[in-house]
Amino acid sequence: MVAPALVLIPVLVLLPGLVHGGGIDLLKEFLQAAITPSLDPLVLGSAVSGLGVTVGIALLGWAASALLGLALALASSRQVWSSCCGQTWPANFLRRLLAVPRSIHELLWGLLLLQLIGLQPAVAIAAIAIPYAALVARVLSDQIDALPSGALAALRCAGVAAPQALVTALGPPLLPGLLSYGGYRLECALRSATLLGVFGLGGLGTELKLCLQSLEFHELWTGLWLLLAVMLLLETGLAGLRRRWLMPRRLGLGGLTFTPLGPESGAGTRGMGQTARPDDLGRRGREMVLALVVLGPLLVWLARAMGVQPLALLHWQPLPNLGGSSWASVLALPWPQLVGSTLLLTLVAAGLAVGLAPLLLLVIAPWPWARPLLQLTWALARLWPPPLSALLLLLLLKPGLVTAALALGFHNLGILGRLLLEASDDYQAPAEIALQGAGVGPRLALFYGRFSGLARSYLAYGAYRSDVMLRESVVVGLVGAAGLGTQLLESLSSFAWDQLLGLLVVYALLTLVGEDLSDRARLQLLAPA
Amino acid sequence: MVLLPAALPGGNPGGPSLLPPARAEQPRSQAKPVLRIGAIPDQKPEKLNRLYPLVAAELERQLGVPVTYVPVVDYTAAVTAFRTGDLDLVWFGGLTGVQARLQKPGAQVLAQRDIDVAFHSIFIANTGSGLKQIRDVKGLTALKGKRFTFGSESSTSGRLMPQYFLAKGGVKLADFAGGAPGFSGSHDTTIALVQSGAYDAGVVNEQVWSTNLRDGRANRAKVVAIWRTPGYPDYHWIGQPNLDQRFGKGFSRKLQGAILSWRTSNPLQKQILTLFGAQQFSKATAASYKQIEQVGRQIGKIR
Repeated sequence: MVAPALVLIPVLVLLPGLVHGGGIDLLKEFLQAAITPSLDPLVLGSAVSGLGVTVGIALLGWAASALLGLALALASSRQVWSSCCGQTWPANFLRRLLAVPRSIHELLWGLLLLQLIGLQPAVAIAAIAIPYAALVARVLSDQIDALPSGALAALRCAGVAAPQALVTALGPPLLPGLLSYGGYRLECALRSATLLGVFGLGGLGTELKLCLQSLEFHELWTGLWLLLAVMLLLETGLAGLRRRWLMPRRLGLGGLTFTPLGPESGAGTRGMGQTARPDDLGRRGREMVLALVVLGPLLVWLARAMGVQPLALLHWQPLPNLGGSSWASVLALPWPQLVGSTLLLTLVAAGLAVGLAPLLLLVIAPWPWARPLLQLTWALARLWPPPLSALLLLLLLKPGLVTAALALGFHNLGILGRLLLEASDDYQAPAEIALQGAGVGPRLALFYGRFSGLARSYLAYGAYRSDVMLRESVVVGLVGAAGLGTQLLESLSSFAWDQLLGLLVVYALLTLVGEDLSDRARLQLLAPA
Repeated sequence: MVLLPAALPGGNPGGPSLLPPARAEQPRSQAKPVLRIGAIPDQKPEKLNRLYPLVAAELERQLGVPVTYVPVVDYTAAVTAFRTGDLDLVWFGGLTGVQARLQKPGAQVLAQRDIDVAFHSIFIANTGSGLKQIRDVKGLTALKGKRFTFGSESSTSGRLMPQYFLAKGGVKLADFAGGAPGFSGSHDTTIALVQSGAYDAGVVNEQVWSTNLRDGRANRAKVVAIWRTPGYPDYHWIGQPNLDQRFGKGFSRKLQGAILSWRTSNPLQKQILTLFGAQQFSKATAASYKQIEQVGRQIGKIR
């Protein structure tokens, strides 16, 4: 479980050569500004309105992706097709097709749509909705197809029409997993909306970037603390709902596993079967309906306040034909080097993130006071978009692959760390208590008693996260020498559409292969031992 | 890299609205058309936010049409917004101006500053870097192995022409420490980063450099100029091809006339000109930027 942290060794060996420390004064200023954020009403006002736009983009993008994803999930489910038409090939075909939008990072969608559509608020929303919908569709259709088909078959045999049978047979067992996964996607959407802002698609991210670029750290922290508050509020709120509605956790629970790619082997039903009593169920149902009733008008109000015009998405501005484009120039790009460094970047970042989370928990195990500190650091890591941490790292480190990997790894460490902590707190570990009773130190007890039980599902989640990191590697392109991402930004500012297209195709291919590999790794890790 | 108009920092007069200003002020209907002006964000946002609202107010007074300033997050954003018709009049750099005209045939070059006929870049260095004054292009080899930053990827004075001169002096981008130069995003940031020591050296637009020296933000004990490039044409105002259709016959000429009429004898116009670092604006033609286009093609920023 801690083995991926082995990448620390080469990183630590290379690090001294990369440190220049030239910007240490600026970094000090940055850290000091954390305790003295600007409270100027103008700064606060613009941070709040920026945050409003970011949250609006996240909510709308998320809602659109949930609806679209649900529809696509049904359309790409083998069970649905076989019970409606007796054929499964359309489901398989649609699944393949959906791999394409999924494989392209939301940032790339944003930049592409921007070129095609122009400055519309709907662009950022669509940029989140497209890849997310494809992801939701995949997860849900996998879940639907993994459900036992007995109930459905029984209903169909009893003469119930296909649509009703599907809802009755598949709805209830699917709901907890669906809601839990939906909550997780909302957290992701908030991070994505911030990131899109960093690349100029509006909202708080834009202001964070401008503040950092003009080195106005006090103003920067005003926005950061506000964003942190909203993020933690959302995370605790969703966790509260999950507990209240008895939905499954995301990470392994005593052998049963639920990863963001779906509850494996019926984990979805576990939450319900455990303690749900009829009156509980009634209360839960009422609350869910209430939540939906509140959410609907809120989304409509948000869309109006932001001036979102969905129809604008249909109004395309053709890309100008700049001439001079030639496939030779696309082929002339140093592909092996670009792909190689992108893969290396992903591996190093993944190793850092996956390996460091348990390692840090082990290190601080004897000191209870260090835990909130670690949690805060992880929260900041999740919050802080990777391109911004990359820019900060450049104050101390030379540009290059390791610097980019550190930025990407740090961000994902925040996400993985939180999940690990959540799962680890939930996990009943008599072994750990026994070990402690036997006089074993807190670190070893934690390692052998608790982590050993969690290792498989954690690593499985890590495999999924690595796949995400490969897609994300595009966002740290500004650090330079960071593979496809750097080239992409350069091609974009040269308006070299042909190169851009080539880069997108290669990115999509890479992520598809990566996804396949990480799926295999996950299945192997989650297979009953 | 960064593409959309940023929400106007600090500008939220109408209470806590979620409307991004770019959208709020954009007419879609037959209402009185608004002239939307923009600029490449080559300096600190606070300076841009001081200058361009003044320009908007003055043009509004002179032309009798509503004028708003729409900030953008980076150079590429300005070009894209011009192409998609979200900006009517933009203060472009040499390279971004050529990119914009190539993407929007018929776009009109309206005016440039007196200093834009022969603009210069200044290579600057941190005093602790050990870099000395450079005499000519060949001296740029001293930068090999140093941590070096450009401004924006699409900056004429902060990237394009400096890269051209570096190449002339035999320095490739991969020769810098870390195997690549940095891209700070703007001239002010380049100065701050080199002064702090985060980079050993960088290159900036001469006008921004002298402004920073004058107001004391550049500390001569920490950052010094080491070389001034030969001159080349740079910044200019470019207008949409359809201005006459939207605002009435002869509007482009009127707009050009208004910009050319600014004089230091008028207090408001003097403030604008001072912020632009110019004495006055003069007519410019697309032909003046042929050299920039050539270099742009050579370096691959124009295709």
